[in-house]
Amino acid sequence: MNLNISFFMIFFLYLLPTHVLSEDGLSKILRKAILRGGYESPQSLYVNNEEELASEGEVLFKSKHMSLNSDVSCSTCHISSHGSSDGISNAAGIGGSGEGKERLLSGARIVPRNTLGFWGVGSKGFKVFFWDGRVDFSHYKVISQFGSNLPSKDPLVTSVHIPVVEIRETLEEDAFIISHTQESTITAVSVYKAIVENLKTHERKTIEKIADKIGINYNEVTYLHVATSVASFIRKEFQIKNTVLNEFVTNRKSLTSKQLEGGILFYGKGNCASCHNGPHFTDQKFYTVPFPQLGFGKNGFGIDYGRYNVTFNPDDLYKFRTPSLYNNGKTAPYGHSGSVMTLYDSIKAHYDPLSIVNINEYDELQRHEYYKYLSKSDTVNRVNFLTDSEVLLIIEFLRILDFD
Amino acid sequence: MKNRILISLNILACVCCIALAIKFIAMPIAAKIIYANQYKTLMFQCDNVMRDHMIAKNRVKHERSKKSIKDLESAEIGLISCHYYDKLRKKMLIWGLTEHDLSNIGLEAIEKNSYDLKKYVEYHEFKY
Repeated sequence: MNLNISFFMIFFLYLLPTHVLSEDGLSKILRKAILRGGYESPQSLYVNNEEELASEGEVLFKSKHMSLNSDVSCSTCHISSHGSSDGISNAAGIGGSGEGKERLLSGARIVPRNTLGFWGVGSKGFKVFFWDGRVDFSHYKVISQFGSNLPSKDPLVTSVHIPVVEIRETLEEDAFIISHTQESTITAVSVYKAIVENLKTHERKTIEKIADKIGINYNEVTYLHVATSVASFIRKEFQIKNTVLNEFVTNRKSLTSKQLEGGILFYGKGNCASCHNGPHFTDQKFYTVPFPQLGFGKNGFGIDYGRYNVTFNPDDLYKFRTPSLYNNGKTAPYGHSGSVMTLYDSIKAHYDPLSIVNINEYDELQRHEYYKYLSKSDTVNRVNFLTDSEVLLIIEFLRILDFD
Repeated sequence: MKNRILISLNILACVCCIALAIKFIAMPIAAKIIYANQYKTLMFQCDNVMRDHMIAKNRVKHERSKKSIKDLESAEIGLISCHYYDKLRKKMLIWGLTEHDLSNIGLEAIEKNSYDLKKYVEYHEFKY
């Protein structure tokens, strides 16, 4: 009898500390991995030198007069209720009415890429913009369509210069635009001037306030000042806020066992952090993830060459920028063409891409293009095999990067 | 005699009208019905080989090797597909279609998959 009691006591004492230690041990391992992965707290990432212009930036962000000859504003596609994207696969540009699905189905011109969320853009360390990185400040040699005539040294301000001159995204192809379609500094300056004149006509008070705050004459306001104001609003509105993950890392609060396991998979077996690292959970580099193509694609006929369209380097074919993971629970659908509806499928696309496509429904060209994607895939070799329950655990971990 | 001349002129006018109608209405419509699909296919094929050629050219620029040069040579021969596209394009212009008509047919081909997208979006809408 005594022997039995002793045995159970020893067994109980053996179990208890082991259990406590394992949770604690996992937390320590995960915290260390997160910090080693380049994590920085949200507060330390927010930098906004022109915050006083944010309120004017908000007016312009929501103004349809940012579109020179159509009726699209930045907020048409970057909608708060959709986590700063628009909830549809490809963006709906000029020519439709309403937002999101309604806009697309009402005949809007399709912009053949998925709208990226804005969370954390313009904050410290965020240097590569758009799916194909057409604004790339990550190297000493800046890449943008402005060549050596960069409008600003601030990558976000430079990026705000781009959508307003994109035909079908915010511009109708009228006589003025057709005559200014050639890529040259002079024609670009004329278009930006016309946009500012349009804003001066319809948003006069806002432009006056911008001039006042900057301390310049009303007539001296240029598109650079407009873009700086809009960038300031984007920085402020879409800054990364406190998350459960931040509480875990900086204030040593605990995670649930599922979140913990998911984190260990994210940094361990899944090798997700090999690309989703750094302060924004993106290395801001370019990879081929075999997401199926939806829509006609940037290159037409259902083809999108991704980064290649910017660099013309064949090694960059089908590569797209690693997206940030903040608030990704709110920015579905996923992938460069928004062809993947859930985070679950999105993770599966990295290591088991055939499980999420119905290859029999593809036409011969789609199949051919998809084989190319698969053959160039960077992720199938990087991400280890994960079971379905492990994928769900990773999603549990990703949820702690969401915030309101 | 006068009546004969009038009848002849009437017939001539009718023939002219019919000829004009054939030239400017019937032929373009017929060209569109007969050749539009073939035009879309050839347009895609030309676009495809041109893109392949461009990629092969850029490959040589970035990584000059025997293989990349051979690939470029093949891609150059592949450009012959554009000859068939060009021939059909001219034929359709002769049949009375305008550049604008051809651009529209081309755009339909390029954006063929936008229909799939709309169908897809109808089924999957995200609300938060």
